[in-house]
Amino acid sequence: MAVDITDQNFINGLIEQERRAQRPRGRWLVVPILVLTIAYLTPFYYLFVTIFKTSAEYAQKGVLELPASLAPFADNVVQAWTIAHLGQAGLNSLSYAVIGGAIAVAFAAAAAFGMTRLNLIGANGWFMLIFTGTLFPFQMYLVPLLFGYQRLGLINSWLGMLLVYVAICIPFPLLVLRNSFSGITREVDEAARIEGASEWRVFISMIVPNAKGPLIALFLLQFTFIWNDLLFSSILANGIEVRSIMVALQSLQGTYSTIGPNVVITATLISSIPTVLLFVVLRKYFMAGLQLGNK
Amino acid sequence: MITTASASLSPEVLKDARRRERRVAWRQTRVAWLFIAPAVFMVSAFLLMPVVFNIILSFTKWQKFTGLDKFAGFANYARLFNVPYFSEALSNTAIWVVGAMVLPLAFGLGLALLLRNMPLQETFKSLFFLPKVLAPTAVGAIWYYVYAPHGVLNSAVAGLTGQPFDVGWLYSAQTVTPSVIFTFVWQTVGITMVLLLLGLAAIPRDPIEAARVDGASGWQIFRHIIWPLLLPTVLVVTILNVAAGFTTFDLLWVMAGDYPGKRTLSLAVYMYYESFSNGAWAYGSAVAVVLGAMVIAVTAALAVLQSRVEKNIR
Repeated sequence: MAVDITDQNFINGLIEQERRAQRPRGRWLVVPILVLTIAYLTPFYYLFVTIFKTSAEYAQKGVLELPASLAPFADNVVQAWTIAHLGQAGLNSLSYAVIGGAIAVAFAAAAAFGMTRLNLIGANGWFMLIFTGTLFPFQMYLVPLLFGYQRLGLINSWLGMLLVYVAICIPFPLLVLRNSFSGITREVDEAARIEGASEWRVFISMIVPNAKGPLIALFLLQFTFIWNDLLFSSILANGIEVRSIMVALQSLQGTYSTIGPNVVITATLISSIPTVLLFVVLRKYFMAGLQLGNK
Repeated sequence: MITTASASLSPEVLKDARRRERRVAWRQTRVAWLFIAPAVFMVSAFLLMPVVFNIILSFTKWQKFTGLDKFAGFANYARLFNVPYFSEALSNTAIWVVGAMVLPLAFGLGLALLLRNMPLQETFKSLFFLPKVLAPTAVGAIWYYVYAPHGVLNSAVAGLTGQPFDVGWLYSAQTVTPSVIFTFVWQTVGITMVLLLLGLAAIPRDPIEAARVDGASGWQIFRHIIWPLLLPTVLVVTILNVAAGFTTFDLLWVMAGDYPGKRTLSLAVYMYYESFSNGAWAYGSAVAVVLGAMVIAVTAALAVLQSRVEKNIR
C-alpha cells in the first residue's frame, strides 16, 4: 500500500492511534486493587498497632485502634523474650538454619559434582535414589524418626535436630545444582586436570565459583525452611535448651496460654526478623531461587 | 577417539588403550563415590529408611506404651474405614486440595495480569511476596487473633456495618476450614503471582500485538494466546499448591488449636494427632502411608501432564 508520509491527516491519524494505545485501559481497576491491597495489608497493620499496646489496653480498646503510646513495646519485647526464652530458641534456630543449611547445600553440591563432572558409573541411579527424598510428605518420616531417635539417644538433642535438617535439605538443592553444574563447559575442568589438579581442587576452585548465584539462592531457601519449621522440631526436640524458635512461639500462643495477644504478636514479630531481613537485603537471590525450581 | 586411529594400530595396543581408559573410568568412579557419599548416606539414613520403616510399622500393632511389633496385617488400614474421624479428615483434605489448587491460582493470575503493565510492579511484587517469607507458625498466630471473637475481622465488619458482629470463625465446623484456607491463600497468592509473572514475561509480545491489531478482544487474546503459553507455568504452580494442600500442618495446628474436633481438620493433622497426642504410632503410620500414596499419585499425574504440555508447546 502506498502511503504519502507528507499527508498531515495520515500523520495525525497515526498520532491519535498511538495515543489511544498508550492510554491506560481500565482505569476503574484502581479502586478494587486498592481495596484488595488494604484488606491484604490489614494483618500487618494489626501487628504494628498491637505491639505498642499493653495487655490492659488491648482488652479495652478496639483491636484496630491506634495505641496510646509507643512505650509498651519495650515491655512486650522483654516479656516475650523471658517467658518464651526467645534468646535461647533464636540462637538454636539460627545455628540449625545456618549450619544445617550450609552443610546440606555443600553435600548437595559435592554430590552434584560427582554425578555430572566425573564419570560416575550409574550416576542416574544414584540421583534417583536421592531425588526420591522429595516425593514423600514429611508425615511419613515422623514416627520412625521419633522411634529411631529415642533408641539412638538423639531425641531432644542439638545434633539430632541438625542431622534431620541436613538430610531434608539435600534433595532439592541437588536437583537444581545437577542442572547448573552440567551447564558449565567441560573444558573448564579438563584444563585444570591436565595441569594436575585433584578432583577436589577442580570442585572447589573451578565449579563452585561458577555456580555462586544458585548456591546462595539455595542456601537462602534452606535457611528459611529450617528457621520456619515447626513440625520436626515440635516432635524431636521440645526441651527448652534445644527447641526451635517456632516451638517457642507456639508455646506462647497455645490454647491454655494466659499471655496477652500483645506479647504473642510481639514474639511473632521477633521470630520473623531474620527471614524478613534476609528477604529485604537479598531479594534478588530469593527471586532467583524461585526460578530455580522451575527448570 | 581410539576408533579413528584403529586401522593402523595392532590389536594389542588397542586392547591396552581400552584397558587404560576403563581404569581411568573406574578411578573417577571411585573418587565420585567419595563426593556423593555424604548426601547418599544422609538421605538414605534419615529419609528413605524412615519411609520403609513407616510402611512396615503401619502393618503392626505398635503403640507408644504397649510397645512392640506384633504383626497386625491390614488391621490399621481396616480401622481407617471404620472410624468416622478418618473419613471426615479425608473430606476436609479434599476441600483443602481443591481450595489450594484453585484459589491462589485464580487470585494470583488475576493479580499477575493486572500488575503486568503497571508502574510500581516491583513494589507490589515484594509486598505480596512478603507473607511467604514469614513462618506459617507466625502467620497462624497473627490470623488466630484476626479470627478471634473480638478480633480484627469481626471488629472490621462491625465497624463497617454499624451492627455488632461476633462469629467464632475458628470454633465451628462450617467456618474453620474455609477460614484457615483463606489464610493459606493470603500467604500463597504472592508467590503464585510472582511465578506467573515470570511465565507471562516469557510470552512473546508479537502475537498478542498482532491479535490486537486484528481486533481480538482481551478475553480472546487471553484464551487463545496467553493461556496456552502460560499453561506449563500454571501446572508447575498447581503441583506446588496441591502438595501444600495435602500436607499443610503448621497453619491448622496453630490456628485451630481450640477447635474441639481439630483431629479431623485434615489427614496431616489427623496423623499428627493420632501419633503424638494419642501415642497410636502404628495407626498414625498407616494414615501417613495413605496420605503419601495420595500425594505421590496426584503429583505424578500432574507432572506427566506438565511434561506433555511442555512438549506440545515446543
